[in-house]
Amino acid sequence: MLQGIFYILNNHGYSILLGLRYTIIITTASYIIGLTLGTIIALLRIYSNRWVRIALTVFVEVIRGTPMIVQLFFVYYALPELGILLDPVTASIIAISINSSVYQSEYIRSSISSIPYSQFESALSIGLTRFRTIWIVILPQAIRIAIPALANEAIYLFKYSSIAYFVTAPELMYIGKSIGSRTFLYLEVYVVLAFIYIVTSIVLTELVKIIERKYSIPGLIKSRL
Amino acid sequence: MADYILVVEDLWKFYGREAVLKNVSFTVRRGETKVIIGPSGAGKSTLLRCINLLVKPDRGRIILDGDIITGRKDVHSIRSQIGFVFQHFNLFNHLTAIDNVLLGLVKVKKLPREEAMRKAEEALLSVGITEDLWRKYPVQLSGGQQQRVAIARAIAMDPKIILFDEPTSALDPELIWEVLNVMERLSRNGMTMIVVTHELGFAVKVAHEVMFMDGGTIVERGSPEQILLSPKNERIRRFMERMWYLYSLDIQSRAV
Repeated sequence: MLQGIFYILNNHGYSILLGLRYTIIITTASYIIGLTLGTIIALLRIYSNRWVRIALTVFVEVIRGTPMIVQLFFVYYALPELGILLDPVTASIIAISINSSVYQSEYIRSSISSIPYSQFESALSIGLTRFRTIWIVILPQAIRIAIPALANEAIYLFKYSSIAYFVTAPELMYIGKSIGSRTFLYLEVYVVLAFIYIVTSIVLTELVKIIERKYSIPGLIKSRL
Repeated sequence: MADYILVVEDLWKFYGREAVLKNVSFTVRRGETKVIIGPSGAGKSTLLRCINLLVKPDRGRIILDGDIITGRKDVHSIRSQIGFVFQHFNLFNHLTAIDNVLLGLVKVKKLPREEAMRKAEEALLSVGITEDLWRKYPVQLSGGQQQRVAIARAIAMDPKIILFDEPTSALDPELIWEVLNVMERLSRNGMTMIVVTHELGFAVKVAHEVMFMDGGTIVERGSPEQILLSPKNERIRRFMERMWYLYSLDIQSRAV
């Protein structure tokens, strides 16, 4: 088996790296878009008017209540019927971002709710507007509290970006499958892939710990991953 | 008229159908320290929150330094002219002591960094927060220190008036003294203040006028000696008797 692994690394190492590159691109893009959208959804669900809140609650429930693969297929296979044609990587990024935004919005929403109203009140009392109070006082505290949950989401996305395989985005899984079907070294290929996923997850986990320590503030809820 | 920095006229506030403030009217002179006492639920906190528009009054007028501030759109600029010190300090937990003071100077008053820094340091020193504490986060400070930083945060903005909402109620007895001391000095230096408190000693020593509130109205007002020692109203008399009992003093002997 070791021989097989070396064979694959020697002959297909480059395409595996290319696959990893797409996995990283899909994960990073989805995560960042998801975090941005998630923050906006969370803020609107807490601070905006009733109708926006209801609309977003419905959106969150719909996305949470359907499998990610259904959303991906909808974007890739159903949208073209409405005239929206997307390449596999873009379609994957869109579907995964939207899916992730909903979960990230819930993490941020719950951490915002955990910040006492007195923080809001005292920011208003020195003359900050509502918007700047949220931006300067509430969010910096909420995000710190949410770091462990948000980090979990990053690790989760890195693994579940493999779902892009189903719409032929050339990421790790897809490359692995195609190497496997050419060489018939399925066992070896998937051992290599698993190894890459595990190592990256561990690296991400450690990275998060560093970020957490860097931004930790005495007195704000101590959190562990 | 210019002598009054704050005029409150016929102020009403309803929560549902219940009136928590009923026809509250009073004036505060420049440099005056006014103490408000009264039982819980009397509307003292609501009154303070109405004055800096954290709570919107339902009826009545508030005039700050000649400007009618009720019903105005620019509530933020008005709030920046009124200091507020909370019972539970409410320092920003993610910021150090000095950053707590700097926030309003930089983000609201838009002062240049250096000037803001100078003002913040000056304010912190004036409440006895020395340089070794400036970089500490709120939880690393004692309650008394936190409250003094909160007072510095209010002072630094050069407010026209500072409102204190039971500033020592959440403090250990030992720490109450250091906060009252700072407030007393502030008052002597001519700051205009409204203080909701149960600290009778402070009221006697520092207040120019004491107002007793109950049931959403001002029941009686007058000099500290008059309200605290020989009130006309029976309700206040009973309240004060209990308060003096807490301080192990006899109202009759004090009255003499």
